[in-house]
Amino acid sequence: MEKIHINNSGYEIVPAKIVSTRKMTEQEKIFELKLVHGLSLDHEPGQFVEVSILGVGEAPISVCSSPTKRDSFEICVRAVKDGRFSNAMHNLDIGDEVGIRGPFGVGFPAAKLEGYDIIMVAGGLGIAPLRSLINYIIDNRREYGKVSLLLGCKDPQSMLFADEIDLWQKRVDINFSCTVDRGAPDWKGNVGLITSLIPNVNIDPERTYAVVVGPPVMYKFVIKELLSKGIPEHQILVSLERHMKCGLGKCGHCQIHNIYCCQDGPVFSYNNIKELKGAI
Amino acid sequence: MKKPKVAFFDFACCEGCQLQVANLGEDLLDILDTIDVVEFREVMTEKWDQGYDVAVIEGSITNEHAIEKIKRIRERSKILIAYGSCATIGGVNGMKNDFELNEIEAHVYQENAKHFKTVPTMAVSQVVKVDYFVNGCPIYPPEFITVLKCALAGLPYHVPDNVVCVECKINENICMYDKGVTCLGPVTKAGCNSWCINNGNVCYGCRGMVSNPNENSAKDVLSKYNISLDLIKNKMNMYNKCRELNKNEKDKS
Amino acid sequence: MKNAILKKEKLDDFIKIMSKDEKVIAPVLKGNQSYTFTEVKSADEISLKYLPTILPPKKYFMPQHETLIEYDKRNGQKVHCVVEVEDLVIFGVHTCDLAGIQCLNMIFADRPKDMNYLIRKNRITLIGLECNSYCDEFASCALMGNHIPKGGYDLLFTDLGNYFFVEINTRKGEELIEKTNLFENADSNHQEELNKLRKLKESIFKPEVDIDKNEIPSLFKKKFESKIWEDIGERCLSCGNCTNVCPTCYCFDVLDIPDLNLKTGKRVRVWDSCQNEPFAKISGGESFREKRGDRKRHRFNRKFRYPVERYGKFFCTGCGRCSRTCMAKIDLKETIRDLIKEGN
Repeated sequence: MEKIHINNSGYEIVPAKIVSTRKMTEQEKIFELKLVHGLSLDHEPGQFVEVSILGVGEAPISVCSSPTKRDSFEICVRAVKDGRFSNAMHNLDIGDEVGIRGPFGVGFPAAKLEGYDIIMVAGGLGIAPLRSLINYIIDNRREYGKVSLLLGCKDPQSMLFADEIDLWQKRVDINFSCTVDRGAPDWKGNVGLITSLIPNVNIDPERTYAVVVGPPVMYKFVIKELLSKGIPEHQILVSLERHMKCGLGKCGHCQIHNIYCCQDGPVFSYNNIKELKGAI
Repeated sequence: MKKPKVAFFDFACCEGCQLQVANLGEDLLDILDTIDVVEFREVMTEKWDQGYDVAVIEGSITNEHAIEKIKRIRERSKILIAYGSCATIGGVNGMKNDFELNEIEAHVYQENAKHFKTVPTMAVSQVVKVDYFVNGCPIYPPEFITVLKCALAGLPYHVPDNVVCVECKINENICMYDKGVTCLGPVTKAGCNSWCINNGNVCYGCRGMVSNPNENSAKDVLSKYNISLDLIKNKMNMYNKCRELNKNEKDKS
Repeated sequence: MKNAILKKEKLDDFIKIMSKDEKVIAPVLKGNQSYTFTEVKSADEISLKYLPTILPPKKYFMPQHETLIEYDKRNGQKVHCVVEVEDLVIFGVHTCDLAGIQCLNMIFADRPKDMNYLIRKNRITLIGLECNSYCDEFASCALMGNHIPKGGYDLLFTDLGNYFFVEINTRKGEELIEKTNLFENADSNHQEELNKLRKLKESIFKPEVDIDKNEIPSLFKKKFESKIWEDIGERCLSCGNCTNVCPTCYCFDVLDIPDLNLKTGKRVRVWDSCQNEPFAKISGGESFREKRGDRKRHRFNRKFRYPVERYGKFFCTGCGRCSRTCMAKIDLKETIRDLIKEGN
């Protein structure tokens, strides 16, 4: 057997250095990464990268920083029980290196959304991919109509990006609301499902794009609510979570019907996936 | 960097898994480059009286003395690996659990039976927490190395929860059922690279059952090949009798 | 297009000459009516009449286990992408399996391209072997239109009694004929005999299921919620036999294998199966095809509907391996018939 070295196999990685880390909650940690040689990731909001720790493996993780921040990017990693990659990632620190492939997939069509009102709905860890769009829109705020941001999570302790949420909340150019499933003694905000926030938003359906990212169970209910507000199906965007193993539309793990989530998604407009049973 | 201290212990077993380790050949030399073996009865006489980074346990737990000993080892060990069927699932020693304990004692030890009290056979994980499992009778050496690497790197190892057929077909073996022979591959956990079948033997279920076998389907398959369910149950019990202890626990709770 | 003939008694020389320079792979009887593609050195090892091999020739195009990268992190993160290749001649590939390789070609050439596959593919010479009659009752090659050659080979052998009619389809094939110097030109009599066989085959091979092939994708779409999938799920063992033996299943897993020093190692890909329970699980623990029936339905749709929608191509070749190997007797043709029978 002969061994050929190639440099364009699709599996080559670009090393990236961890330049800062922030512990968000008991489970979630943010890593700020810088590609070597001053390379820019050049991603679109909503795209993901394959992060590799050599000897451990690779995992698809969405980029949670806006492309307007060019010299580094951020990923948010949730450590799950027995998760080989996620726990190894949490053990890394500033100065350590990981490998990056990507960015992959179809992100949020930020340019297409210009001129529209935007209503963004995020549940749980869904805030991570959505944050790339939120900050992109904030950085290009002038190009968009009214911007609403609805967030939901389990309880106040599991709130991600709490500092930033504080800032978003204070902005006059964002209509912000937030809810938790279970309150806490010092929690003054809403308690209840995220769908309960939607009726309070003033929506002009024809000129609104809704962007929904959250755990699988959330989509059905939120989309139903948005549809009832009259937002056209093609103006509802979702980002789907699947196991994108190769990122190249081959390995089959992320397949939903005839769609490869890693290449055709993870962002889809609702009209393109509503017929696909099990997609949401 | 200091090499991790690794100790090998055996309980009720044939020590065949230790033999597999001792027979690793060149790989063993690589292993010895990375770890410091402080106890290993099969190959050395020294004893170590401090903590272990990794304890590798062979054999099942069959009496009070063993229960105490394995608890002590657990306390002294950062990581505990159970290896071999006896340690991971109870193995053939579990066949004892089909009999009354006093009958067994009397049969084996005759007039000295009262000095040799015994308890139902248990897998190591039925007594103490186990961090890694290397299934098999004996262990499949490449899997042992994989698990050792995971333990040294601090990574979890997930025993494949697919049936042996997955690997067997990839190895392009002729299905034993097509040869008219009963094989436990369709319900047994993979990870052994279908070692036995590659070498012309059937699968004896030594790695334990997959967590979610399709029992109805298994019955269908058996009837297709004209095999009785009891035969399979008996075959499965050869290695897997101890799983009933868990089941009884569940029934109680 | 030039054609040639090879007298049967010269097959042995053909194999021997080729095997001097390259590995020659051919169908060989393994036992119990089971065949495998295996390296051969002479013609007498080859089974010219054979049931589809346990594994299809895809194992040479995308091996069960292949290295993608080699890494060394002792000094930064050094990574080399590698392809392990060897020159091979695969002799005696049935037209169903050639169709399977054509499916894989399409997938791995689709952007982003899979260089490991494409580089390896170019090192393989394919010599097809036409089936004059059915291999057994599990085949559905006529339904899928793969009982007749449709390209995908360098040379195609057709057994016409005491000689093989050889269609030369590529320059590579022609070179092989020139190099071995054992072939004669085909004349009009030979061509006539081939035509006669093809005519005869028309009467032997009939679509095995009573449906217009072009209607199959919409049948599967219509029957997505059918109870038949649940019933099949009840029977399925999730052993993954059907995907491993399928000539067009190409799903894989990627994993790291560190060396004992934990500093160097490789990243490999291994065959994986959508029939395995954790296949579509995400890190949060949710599995998107948790039930056996869902997984089975996914597999069938990936043969008869999704690739037709996406690539305009059926990914069932009609080889019959999945039905032949299924311990639970889940039969492909039966399933399609049941879906038809169920009506609306």
